Amino acid sequence: MSDLMIDTTVDKQTKQYIVVQIGSEKYGIDISYIDNIVRMQKITRVPKAQVYFPGIINLRGEVVPVMSIRIKMGLEKDEITNTSRIIILKIEDRGMLGVIVDAVSEVVTLSTDQIEPNNVQSGHARDNFINGIGKSGEQLISLLEINAIIDEKDNV
Amino acid sequence: MDISQYLEIFIDESAEHLQTLSDCIMTLEKEPDNKDTINEVFRAAHSLKGMAGTMGFKRMQHLTHDMENVFQEVRSDKLSVDSSMIDLLFKCLDAIEGYLDNVKASSDEGKEDNELIIKELNNAIARANNKPADDTPAAAESGSEGTAASANVKESDKQYLEIELDDADRKKINELKEAGQHIYGMTVRIQSECLLKAARAFLVFRAVEEFGQIVVYQPSSQDIEDEKFDLTFSFYLASAESLDVVKKAAENVSEIDAVFAEELNDFSERVEEEKEAEEETKPAPVEKKAAAPAKKEDSQAQAKKAVGKPATNRTVRVDIEKLDALMNQVSELIIAKNSLVSISSSEGGNSSQSFHEQIEYLERITTNLHESVMKVRMVPIESVVNKFPRMIRDLSRTLNKKMELVMTGEDTELDRTVVDQIGDPLQHLLRNSADHGLEDTALRIKRGKPEVGNIFLNAYQEGNNVIIQVGDDGNGIDVEAVKNKAIERGTITEEQAESMTQKEIINLLFLPSFSMAKKITDISGRGVGLDVVKSGIEQLGGDVDVKTSIGEGTTFSVRLPLTLAIIQALMVEIRDEKYAIALGSISNIENIPVTEIKYVQAKEVMHLRGSVIPLVRLDKVLDIEPMEVEPENLTVVIVKRGDSQVGLVVDNLIGQQEIVIKSLGKYINGNKLISGATILGDGEVALILDANTLM
Repeated sequence: MSDLMIDTTVDKQTKQYIVVQIGSEKYGIDISYIDNIVRMQKITRVPKAQVYFPGIINLRGEVVPVMSIRIKMGLEKDEITNTSRIIILKIEDRGMLGVIVDAVSEVVTLSTDQIEPNNVQSGHARDNFINGIGKSGEQLISLLEINAIIDEKDNV
Repeated sequence: MDISQYLEIFIDESAEHLQTLSDCIMTLEKEPDNKDTINEVFRAAHSLKGMAGTMGFKRMQHLTHDMENVFQEVRSDKLSVDSSMIDLLFKCLDAIEGYLDNVKASSDEGKEDNELIIKELNNAIARANNKPADDTPAAAESGSEGTAASANVKESDKQYLEIELDDADRKKINELKEAGQHIYGMTVRIQSECLLKAARAFLVFRAVEEFGQIVVYQPSSQDIEDEKFDLTFSFYLASAESLDVVKKAAENVSEIDAVFAEELNDFSERVEEEKEAEEETKPAPVEKKAAAPAKKEDSQAQAKKAVGKPATNRTVRVDIEKLDALMNQVSELIIAKNSLVSISSSEGGNSSQSFHEQIEYLERITTNLHESVMKVRMVPIESVVNKFPRMIRDLSRTLNKKMELVMTGEDTELDRTVVDQIGDPLQHLLRNSADHGLEDTALRIKRGKPEVGNIFLNAYQEGNNVIIQVGDDGNGIDVEAVKNKAIERGTITEEQAESMTQKEIINLLFLPSFSMAKKITDISGRGVGLDVVKSGIEQLGGDVDVKTSIGEGTTFSVRLPLTLAIIQALMVEIRDEKYAIALGSISNIENIPVTEIKYVQAKEVMHLRGSVIPLVRLDKVLDIEPMEVEPENLTVVIVKRGDSQVGLVVDNLIGQQEIVIKSLGKYINGNKLISGATILGDGEVALILDANTLM
């Protein structure tokens, strides 16, 4: 991934995304929201929490809630493997939030003309989670809408 | 030197003066002839004016100046304090507070001139001066004061004569003299009430430096800047202007008591004389030097006495963020210590005795360190509650009820963060007491109660908690009325109402948008109030309890934790999950055989020393898989709140531990049972149970 080093001199028309695997699809998360990526670790269950919150973790002395984005998007329960990671998002005013993903693959830089609005309406609730489709070479990446992830509303 | 560095001091001290004014005016309302209070009011208003002037807040200065004039008339018995006057004065205070708020927000006083208030103040002064009785106009009075001061020039005031010069100074002075400049020796005395002395001195320097150059300072310019001087300071000014012009400039700075100045023509001779003296007798300067500081100390002591500040109270202002950082570091230290403790205990017999000793030592140090940091963060609740008497007075007017607020325990201390946030809930409770609690004056008389309603606020420490009671001797809560209202609003059904205890019904009052007010007033009754109080207090980790008896009054007891960040807790285990229960809420721990469980209304209870205690199976409440085989004995942690007790069934006790409370964040919601999380020595996260919610 050395050729994917973050270029600090990106011009304003491009955005960087971290590409993650959730289920069979690839999703892109805007890098400016990401604080950190950590390996899977013991999650302490919080009773009576929303179903899509498996619990909390200790991130270097801070307590960070962890969300199962699979459950939130109405997919199967997470399968924890060696490649599973927790993406730590840092959102202004609301603090840190961990999101479980199946794998982290790469960082891509997309310019605005490489992003198309999400016109495919499958009628599925998870449409709300995607604010665009990015084309990087041959692959298509669904770009995640961070606000939909942190939104309280249950989309299941 | 820049004025802005005084801004913070200015804000703090102005707020203090405003509080003094408010307190004194309240006293004056009761005892209009209290001379001491009038003097104090005058002093506070005067200082406020001076400070506003120094900082260049012209509007604020103008308003306080006119207010001070009114007090001046009161002081000289030309104006008597009546209720309309008190109202006017309070309006002034509110306006000044408005300025101060603007200053806080934007470092500027804003554009409001408050002309109306100023006009009223001037009317009051005009009324006073129209009185035929002993009419010496104020202007003449102050004028005579001024002349008296200037006439009293004593030799001792010419402190500039004592300025000691070194060779470099002498050389410079001689050069300037040769260049045709006059050398003036000047001593400036600042008024004893002046608060920002360094700022004053700065203004004087700025004023005179328009005409020339200051050659030497006494004390040194650094000391003056640091306010290390009494009321006087001296300097030599080299200027081409005449003495009068320079002196006038210095005198024009406000809060200056007197300026003594003269041209030093025989200057060179003096220098030579001094030189000679020095050469002739070597020990002489030593003596001189020794004498000078002694004298200085003396006068310093006198100055202190005059101001009346206790010398022992030495404080430093610290930014709360720095304290927070310190606190976080202590928290981390405790976590690190906890992990050492857990390593040492897991290694069992392997570790040496000295290792254990060192760990115990570390434990002692961290505990002491934690306590010290906590103490630094503690502030008396006074800063919050001392605005309440004024509020109750205003409420008394608007509600047209006679009432009085009695407060005790204002010196009770709480963590700064708690104190900052406790104001609103307490204010709600007091308003509630004033509006709903107390009956109309007419009704009170009819019921044979004292005409003036009594509202009280008592604060005291109890173990690891601080209790603040707010209450009144009014009508009490009509439980039936609350019940009917709740049924009417559909909050509860009639059947539910039947089975509810009195306490449960009263607790309905804390539900959102549940108001008992028959008519909506400005004070309360819009359905926001008690629920806001409750949630506000719960956010601080506290709780609120009500006691009421019809006809006698209502008391709200607010219980707040002394500290927010670190508590002693009992760690328990349920299956493989670990939970912490605050030690403060635990009354005792019992081991009971399953056979002793009794049933009351199909609920499990236990019998312990004559009292029946309901049991809560934590595994059920926390959605943990039930145990396949129930053990013969149950470990029960009995927690208490006020008079109620409940027994929590756990699997295992791990032990007592100091834990650092961390918030669960803003994402996970709807969880009243869990008040937070903590990180254990092995890095694992444990949840903190809020036992109060299980009551």
